[in-house]
Amino acid sequence: MKRRKFLKSVGAGVAATGLGGILAAHRAPVFAQASTVHILRWNDFVPAADKVLREVYVPEVQKALGIKLNVETVNANDIPARATAGIQSGSGPDIIMLLNNYPQLYAAGAVDVSDVAGEVGKAQGGIYNLPKSMCTVGGKWVAMPWATVPALLAYRKSWFDEIGVKEFPKTWAQYHAAGKKLKAAKRPIGQTLGHTFGDAPTFAYPLLWSYGGQEVDAKGKVVLDSKATVESVRFMTEFWKDAHDEGGLAWDDSNNNRSFLSGDICASLNGASIYVAALNGADKFKTEKGAPLHTDILHAPLPAGPKGEYPYHTAFTHMVMKYSKNAKAAKEFLRWAHTKANYEKWVVVQKGFAVAPTRDWEKHPMWDKDPVMLPFKTASRRGRHMGFAGAPDKKAAEAWNKYIIVDMYAQAASGKMKPEESVKWAAGELRKIYT
Amino acid sequence: MLIERKWKKWIFFYLPIAMFILFTLFPFYWMAVTALRPDHELYRTWRQASATPFWTLEPTLEHFKGLLRTTAFPQWLWNTMLIAIVSTAISLICGMFAGYALARLKFRGSEFLGTAIFITYLVPQTLLFIPLADIIRDMRLGNTPWALMLTYPTFLIPFCTWLLMGYFKTIPKELEECARIDGATRFGAMVRIVFPVAIPGILSAGIFAFTLSWNEFIYALIFMSSAELKTVPVGVVSELIRGDIFFWGQLMAGALLGSIPVALVYSFFVEYYVTGLTGSVKG
Amino acid sequence: MGAGGAAGAALPGERVRISRLTRMLESQKVLAAALLAPGVVILLLFIAYPFVMALWFSLTSIRVGDPGEFIGLANFAKAWNDTIFQTAFKNTVFYTFWATIFKLALGMWLALLLNRHFRFKRLIRASMLLPFIIPTVLSAFAWRWMFDPTFSVINWLLYHSGVITDRLPFLSDGDWAMWCAVLVNTWRGMPFFAITLLAGLQTISPDLHEAAALDGANAWHRFWHVTWPLLIPVTLVVVVFSVIQTFSDFQLIYVLTGGGPANSTHLIATYAYQVGVASGLLGEGAALSLFMFPVLFAVVWVQLRFMKRMEGA
Repeated sequence: MKRRKFLKSVGAGVAATGLGGILAAHRAPVFAQASTVHILRWNDFVPAADKVLREVYVPEVQKALGIKLNVETVNANDIPARATAGIQSGSGPDIIMLLNNYPQLYAAGAVDVSDVAGEVGKAQGGIYNLPKSMCTVGGKWVAMPWATVPALLAYRKSWFDEIGVKEFPKTWAQYHAAGKKLKAAKRPIGQTLGHTFGDAPTFAYPLLWSYGGQEVDAKGKVVLDSKATVESVRFMTEFWKDAHDEGGLAWDDSNNNRSFLSGDICASLNGASIYVAALNGADKFKTEKGAPLHTDILHAPLPAGPKGEYPYHTAFTHMVMKYSKNAKAAKEFLRWAHTKANYEKWVVVQKGFAVAPTRDWEKHPMWDKDPVMLPFKTASRRGRHMGFAGAPDKKAAEAWNKYIIVDMYAQAASGKMKPEESVKWAAGELRKIYT
Repeated sequence: MLIERKWKKWIFFYLPIAMFILFTLFPFYWMAVTALRPDHELYRTWRQASATPFWTLEPTLEHFKGLLRTTAFPQWLWNTMLIAIVSTAISLICGMFAGYALARLKFRGSEFLGTAIFITYLVPQTLLFIPLADIIRDMRLGNTPWALMLTYPTFLIPFCTWLLMGYFKTIPKELEECARIDGATRFGAMVRIVFPVAIPGILSAGIFAFTLSWNEFIYALIFMSSAELKTVPVGVVSELIRGDIFFWGQLMAGALLGSIPVALVYSFFVEYYVTGLTGSVKG
Repeated sequence: MGAGGAAGAALPGERVRISRLTRMLESQKVLAAALLAPGVVILLLFIAYPFVMALWFSLTSIRVGDPGEFIGLANFAKAWNDTIFQTAFKNTVFYTFWATIFKLALGMWLALLLNRHFRFKRLIRASMLLPFIIPTVLSAFAWRWMFDPTFSVINWLLYHSGVITDRLPFLSDGDWAMWCAVLVNTWRGMPFFAITLLAGLQTISPDLHEAAALDGANAWHRFWHVTWPLLIPVTLVVVVFSVIQTFSDFQLIYVLTGGGPANSTHLIATYAYQVGVASGLLGEGAALSLFMFPVLFAVVWVQLRFMKRMEGA
């Protein structure tokens, strides 16, 4: 008798807590289905931005969408290895950040994000052409542009003033002349011609275009070996010896930052990270007169060649991987991150190093704060893609990754090959790709 | 008894030894100074005398502290230790068994197998890592330490086998034969007689395997993706190379701290290492 | 005989079973199979199988995410005609050849020096191993900064002591960069040579040296006629391992120069990586890697034959 009563009471108690438990934890099913999104990005040159990802986005997206965001950052050079291994083995991060036109290379492993791109573009004044061309294959968006890092020349205002150049040189000839004088005063121009994913191609391709040279024509035929190209290489050879820090052949993307901040070079093509670093380290980086270095830095676009000025800006995009089991959540995350309120938190911290891929952000008040950064506001409006005048497709990506154009200039500048030989070599290499 | 003149000793011994010490250890000295150097001193160029790369008047521990507190470096140290120890253990056991089999047992195909095992040493990891990524995924080992603990032995086993094979050959057969006459099994004789005698060789192979595991980069880069699971080489390179300012100090600090565990192991065992190699190379 | 460890109180059937297992393991064939099994399984699973896959890759036009189709030896032909590959191949031979020579010469010299008795012997021996102990990636970074065009400590030293008037282009000139790579590789590998050769030296009885000295031989003669012949087996072994490692080296060049400037320091491994991974052309990358094989195979084969001849003698 006692035992049955006991069991009954226990049973009732369990039932009570059981039901009550479920009712009390009515939020439990949502958490039980919470998804994880693993995003792989580069170590941002602006460390504060990664902090925003980890310390602001992670908790907030957990609250808003119940998504556990796992942020992994690696050296940008290691991203292709991870992407390749991931696609081949069918497992890895759910979202991978890609640069330049890598999305074209990995398109086969991508989830269609045209819906996200369409929404964001419509809401924010349209996506710039350059990132669009990087991310679309046959009209479909295989990656979602996240940001662009425009490249401009950072230069020491006072040094250019000292040699009588009050306005930054607008043509290569003027720049050459100024650079010559400055190098004689041990203040050369700093430019990398090494195998870097950022600064080297960002300089080499625009140089080629400014002389009217191009890799292929609209039909995909290689037209690199033209008089215009040879002229540009000849120019670069002289320009290099006369005005550049010749160690640049071995530089990576960070050497010019360090050189500039150490007061070793007068100008360098870069994103805004040099200026931002000088701002953030105003007590560490000083001019030779003792003033904070950032008061002596200004930005200007690359000089124009005989056929104009055509910049290249690095697009940073997010690809949602086809093998991912959390693709839906990944897209939700992207939508959430691109909303004005959330994106603002990330982009403001960049201080202009990385800018938004959409037009509306040009109107943001952050651009009114610092006149030195103003040129970056509208820089993304213009730009050409690699593989011009063909499409920025897989072949263009292959040529880019093999550093054919960069090496064309490096080989001539280092004296290893004559300009004509180097152009011939580069055209030959391109033909192997564009068959 | 050879009596050398004082000056001869200086020229032929002290001077060369000093040069060798300078050559091998100078980079470490420089790394140590860099790791202790405050940030604002790190960016002086070669032209500036004030760069003083060999000493600093304001040593600071901020890089070490930053490394240990703001990155997962201690975790990486632990991971690498664990993976190295387990890989070494697996490779040693396989190597000991295989080495004994190839050195002592007569069976058809022993030469072929010995050569085949040696040939696998020739296959470069840069060739294998893409297909391996597939296999690791199929076995669901991705992003777990076991991915490395099972793949590292692929380049450790051939070397251990070969080294121990040589070492076992130098051990007189009489030892085992006596044991077997006394009633031990082959297996028992191997474990209880041969292995203890071969300890220097085993230690030597183990130390070498430990070093190689510690040093591995590409598999660790590809198979481990969570920051907490990374090994020291991958973690230091991928999280401290931001391509920009401020992290050289931490990099050098990481490089020094990352070598300490292996250096400790060596300092205890270097004499064994030498005697172990002695045995194996005699054979 | 039988059941070395079997408990006496086992049941008759049990004893038979234990005996049978033990008896089976008495057979050399069975024991060998059992002993070799774990190692062979690991190697089959994680080397042989992916190797066959990689071989298959090299015969197809596989790219990232696209399995491609069988194209026979086209990738190998393309690689053969690729000027960058030709440079990489030459570089690899150059790098391996010089680094090995330096490592052997310096390692031998150091081993001879360490073979004596002197104060702090143990400390110095242990500290000599440091370049070998520190992970390659990390020491390569340190060296890279030591050679940096703007911050090189070596340039600083030479400049401020008046030896040079303008900096040395360590990594910005193709030829210089190759020699710097050889230097770093030598720095890294010499301790391994030294310690192994030291081990070999310690097996040589000092009596032999004394006898030779009494016969009137000087230090060089003693080395060449007494020491060296006895060291040949060890030397051969360590040279072969070193050649294999150096020829397929990846990490050092990847970190130190990335293959630059302008592809002048690419090795086969780093170029294969750049083509296969950075450009996603997995088939071509695999083909490039496989070019290492014939050379390595030849080296190993020569060594094995030599060793067999020595063993026979």
